[in-house]
Parts: sequence; structure tokens; C-alpha cells
Amino acid sequence: MAANYWASTQRRHWQFTKDALLDIRQKLEDEDRALVQQYPLPDRRVQSHFFNQQLVKLGRRMTIRQQALATAQVFIRRFYTKVEIRRTNPYLVMATALYLACKMEECPQHIRVVVSEARSIWSEFIVSDISKLGECEFFMISEMNSQLIVHHPYRSLVELQSTLNMAQEEVSLAWSIINDHYLTDLPLLYPPHVVAVTAIFLAMVLKPTQAGLHAASNAAATLSNVSQAIKGVEPSQLNDIGATTPQGKVQSLVKWLGESEIDIKAVVDCSQEIISLYDIWDQGNEKTCREQIARYVKARGLDK
Amino acid sequence: MPCPGYVSKVKVQDRYNVVGFISSGTYGRVYKATGRNGKSGEFAIKKFKPDKEGEVIQYTGISQSACREMALCSELCHPNIIDLVEIILEDKCIFMVFEYAEHDLLQIIHHHTQPTRYPIPAPTIKSILFQLLNGLLYLHSNWVLHRDLKPANIMVTSKGEVRIGDLGLARLFYKPLHQLFSGDKVVVTIWYRAPELLLGSRHYTPAVDLWAVGCIFAELLSLRPIFKGEEAKMDSKKTVPFQRNQMQKIVEILGMPTKEQWPGLVHQPEYSQLQSLPYTARDASNVRGLETWYWTILKSSNYPMEPPSAYPGQQGFDLLSRLLEYDPTKRLTAREALQHPYFSANGEKVSANCFDGMVVQYPHRRVSKDDNDIRTTSLPGTKRGGLPDDSLVGRPTKRLKEG
Repeated sequence: MAANYWASTQRRHWQFTKDALLDIRQKLEDEDRALVQQYPLPDRRVQSHFFNQQLVKLGRRMTIRQQALATAQVFIRRFYTKVEIRRTNPYLVMATALYLACKMEECPQHIRVVVSEARSIWSEFIVSDISKLGECEFFMISEMNSQLIVHHPYRSLVELQSTLNMAQEEVSLAWSIINDHYLTDLPLLYPPHVVAVTAIFLAMVLKPTQAGLHAASNAAATLSNVSQAIKGVEPSQLNDIGATTPQGKVQSLVKWLGESEIDIKAVVDCSQEIISLYDIWDQGNEKTCREQIARYVKARGLDK
Repeated sequence: MPCPGYVSKVKVQDRYNVVGFISSGTYGRVYKATGRNGKSGEFAIKKFKPDKEGEVIQYTGISQSACREMALCSELCHPNIIDLVEIILEDKCIFMVFEYAEHDLLQIIHHHTQPTRYPIPAPTIKSILFQLLNGLLYLHSNWVLHRDLKPANIMVTSKGEVRIGDLGLARLFYKPLHQLFSGDKVVVTIWYRAPELLLGSRHYTPAVDLWAVGCIFAELLSLRPIFKGEEAKMDSKKTVPFQRNQMQKIVEILGMPTKEQWPGLVHQPEYSQLQSLPYTARDASNVRGLETWYWTILKSSNYPMEPPSAYPGQQGFDLLSRLLEYDPTKRLTAREALQHPYFSANGEKVSANCFDGMVVQYPHRRVSKDDNDIRTTSLPGTKRGGLPDDSLVGRPTKRLKEG
């Protein structure tokens, strides 16, 4: 239901196992074998980085709230589990996802504003006719079965910050880790509270003194160590990890984790996913990605 | 290679036979349909108005209220909420397919006034109210405000099950990042509008829906809207006017609200307007009071005292007065209302079929067979342009993440 994740369409229809997700994507590619071979695209994670970067750019022009950006990112990821990317104009899909997400997150933007802002940054790929975006909206909603309410980890973070006695800087770091998780498949793999707990755990263990988690390469190393340490441990053993860190807070977090019903294995898995995200950050594959997308979009007339 | 346009995988006409037209509203039109190609049952198909640019129907972006309704209806699932079957987006139109409900409260109330006035049986009222509150409790515990409860939006199936319908104005109220502003131009049909909204409150709380339930309870008893005010129209500057007449109607029955009974009263934006209502000390002595109103109605309804559990009596008055409570913070919640002794008198269970033991049969919904072409796209009065329904004023634009 709307406020209840357990009964939500998100849990019932948009949460996959890794294998299931792999399967779904493989099937999509198999259905369009020729197309996929004709137009190679970079690794999905590189694509994700590129899309995120582009979407944030568009969002920034319109001062969109983070939650709406997050919803748009989830929409895009859901949509591309149903439709082969090479059948779409990703720029139009991004603009449409943002337009729709703004309505769902109660910060509506006029369709003309979205189209004109999108045109100003992606002039080659967006036509001025607003009906193209309107049509794409029908396509997206239809593929997503009108399931447009997205549960985000931000809520759990807000709810847990006082329980776990988090400092403001820890909250901000956890918040930006949550922002970053939209670059991965995690929103399709784990419930939002698991992502929130992962972000909190990483933020508190890391002591957020370094500004910009992803900028600091040693952060990833620290994260790796943490995740190595908690990998495969029983919840009861987590106490030991807490004990080795000087912070009483971390200790109580670990205790809380142990006592909660939260799936520790999922948290570990999530942490690793986030760490590997930072590993590939800034590899500079952006140009290739942009060119490869442009190539098929132009060749197939998807920008018209 | 030209880019193929959007084509729905599912076609309305492949799945449904449209029987006829039921009703229309600002959103569009509702049709009755039956299933075809192996799909059985009856359905109500709500077709949203398409937007037109000149004579040609164009995609102009879906209104925010349609998006909300589609999204919320897809999540909701409760025996007292109208059941969504599917949504079809086809030919630039949105079709929401719902289960069919044979009756609604407006039609039932109407039936009891035509040709002569006779009361709705007391057990029926009790069951309707209980089911309505039960559906509302589900909505509220899922952080959904309905915001437009009125007899026409409350459906009743032929089995006597109440279904809350039309979530066109419903929205979520949990979003902690964002306050709920009354940014929407039209919210809650004026007769059912809570006093805090009339007095300009910018915060919606579930209490607005409970006020509407109180009004509906009163209307089921008296067969007339209890506060039938005249709506003040928006002026040319599009400023939202104070609904003076509506407030007046409430004051005439409940009396002028006081700071003592409603401490937050003085903070209401339109508090000064309230004091300017044509209301004197002499009027004050003429205020009938809800209690007088209630017993007069009950007397004229001439309810039998048997079975005693159904007779609304003192408990009915107590429940009504707690729903029509001025102070929204003191008003009963859906959960509290469900636990009210009115529903548990003599330890009897309220029937889940509001027609239980009834002799009268309500007529079937009127369906106009003249118009069964759901594909007709030239509807009168379609709006132009792609403005979302909600005004864009007053929303916070504070950003929470820099890039």
C-alpha cells in the first residue's frame, strides 16, 4: 500500500532477485539480438553513471527536489526492465521520467518547462513538440502498469536518526550514500529500509570527516574492510566488530542491528554493491557512452 | 526509419463491451461495460478527458490528479474501497476500469425522497457508516487523505457492500519533506468541507475526512445536506474567497465556535471573517443546536424502537456531535469512531451488508444506452493546454541535495 512497503506494488512487482533481474534483461536483449549487436553500448554501470549525470543536470536547471530525482531514477530503471534501451531515446525517457516523478512527488513542473529545459541541454535529441514527451509518458506509465508510488530509503533514515543517535554529519553522509545508490540496481533488489540501514552503517562506521565520500578513494578501501569484516558473520558476532571501534555509537548500532529483524546478509550485500560503485566512479567513460547512444538514436530516428 | 508512436498493447474494445453512459464530471465520463473475450462481470470505465489542441487530440501531459488517482488506486486494496481492475492507456486517453457498483449514496438518498419522503432504515444507516469508516481507516492508516467524501462518491454494491470511490483528489500526507498546502484549487465539495478549511487552514489532516463523514451521517438521517451553503465563486483575480454562506450554515446549527472549545480558532487565517458573519446575540439564542436538530429529525423519521440495537438514539447523537466537532484535533479519528458505542449497542455486530433485512429494493443505476461509444473523442468543454490541475504556487522549492 501507499505507505506500507510490505503491501506495496514496489515489493510485489518491482523487487527482484539478482538472478531474476539478469534473466529479464537477457530476455530483452535476446528478443532484439540483431539490434543489440548492431549498436553496442557500454557496461550497464557506465550507462547508469551517464544517465545519472545527465538527469542531475536537468534537475539542477529546474531546482528539482532530490526525492523527485530519486523517483525519476527508479522509473527509468523499472522502465528499462520492460523495454530494450535501443528501442528508445534515453534523453526523452529521462525528461519524461522527471516530469512524471515531479507530479508524483508533489512538486509538479509544467510540461513546457521540462521540454524546453531538456532541449537546452540535449538540443540534438529533444524536439520542441511537447506531445512527444506526452506520448512517452503514456508509454512509461503503461510499461510500469501505473505503479508509480515509490518507497525511498530517505524515510527510514529520517525515522532512524534519533533512535540511533546520529550526528548531523552522519545523517548527511548517509543521505548522500542513499543518493548514490540510485546509480546501482539496488533499488530493484532490496527494500528501502535495508538500503537505509546500509547507508547508516557505512556512514557511522566511516566517521564522515572526509568530504564527498566518492571523491576519497581511501573511503572505498575503508568500506571494503568493513564489508570484509561483516561478511559472513552471524549477527551475534557483530558485537565484536562494534567493540573494536572506539565509538560507542557504532557499538550500539551494531547491537541494534543484531536485535532488529533486518536481513544482515542483505545489508552486507548492499554495502558491497555501493563500494563497487565507488570503485568505478570517474572512470571517464562518459564520452563513449554519449557517442554510442547518439549513434543508435540518430540512426533509428528515435530523436524525431 | 520513422519512430513508431505509442500503441497500447491492450485495447479497451477488445476486452469490454460498453453498455452505456453513466455520468460525467470535470475529469471526464464514466461508462458501464461488460467483459468480453472470456472476461465476465460488469465494470465501470472512467475515461479521462483528452486534451485538445484545436480540433486534434494531442498528448499534453497527464494531469497531476489523474496521476495520483492512477497511482493510488493501483496500490489500494480493501473491501470498502472501490476495486481497480486495470488501467488502459490507449489513443491518447486514459481508461480506468473499476468493478461495477450498482448504487451510490446520492442515489439511495434520492430514492428515499421520491416521490414521498421516507427514512432510510436505521440498520442500513449504521452499516453504511460502519463500512465507510472502515474504508476510511484503511486510507488513513496508509496515509491517504480522500479529501472529497460526499454521497455521490460512496458506492454501494448490490450485495450491500460500501465502496469508497473517486480518489481523484486523494493524496498522500506522510511525505515528511513537504508540507501539505491547500495548493489545489478545488478541494472537497463545499457542503462537506470542514470548518478549518473554510477558515483558511493550510494544513490538511485526516480530520477533514471525518467532518465529511459527520455530514454524510446527518444526511442519511435527514435525507438533506445538513449544511447546504451557497458556494462563493472565485473572483477574476483567482483569489480563493471566504465561503461565508457555508460557514453561516454551520454556525446556524452548531453555534459560533469559541476559543474555549477550539483553542486553535484564533490562529485560523480567516478568523476575522468569522467575526464579521451576520450573527448577533439574538441569533445566538436562536441557534437550534445540533441536539435539537438531531432529535427533530429522529422524531420525524419515526424509527421503530425494534430492534433496539439499530435505533440511533442517544449514541447516534453522541457520535454525530463528535464527528461534527469544530476543533479538528478533538474530532474523532476513524479508529475512534469505529469503536463508538453507537456501533456496539447491545453487543450486536454491524452487518457487512447494508441491505440486510431490507424489504425495499433500490432501482438500478441509470445507464444511458444512447451513448455507448467510448471512443468518441469530441467531448464538450475539454480543457486546453497542458497545465497540471494543481496550482504551482506555494510549494517549497528548497533543494535537499546539491547535485
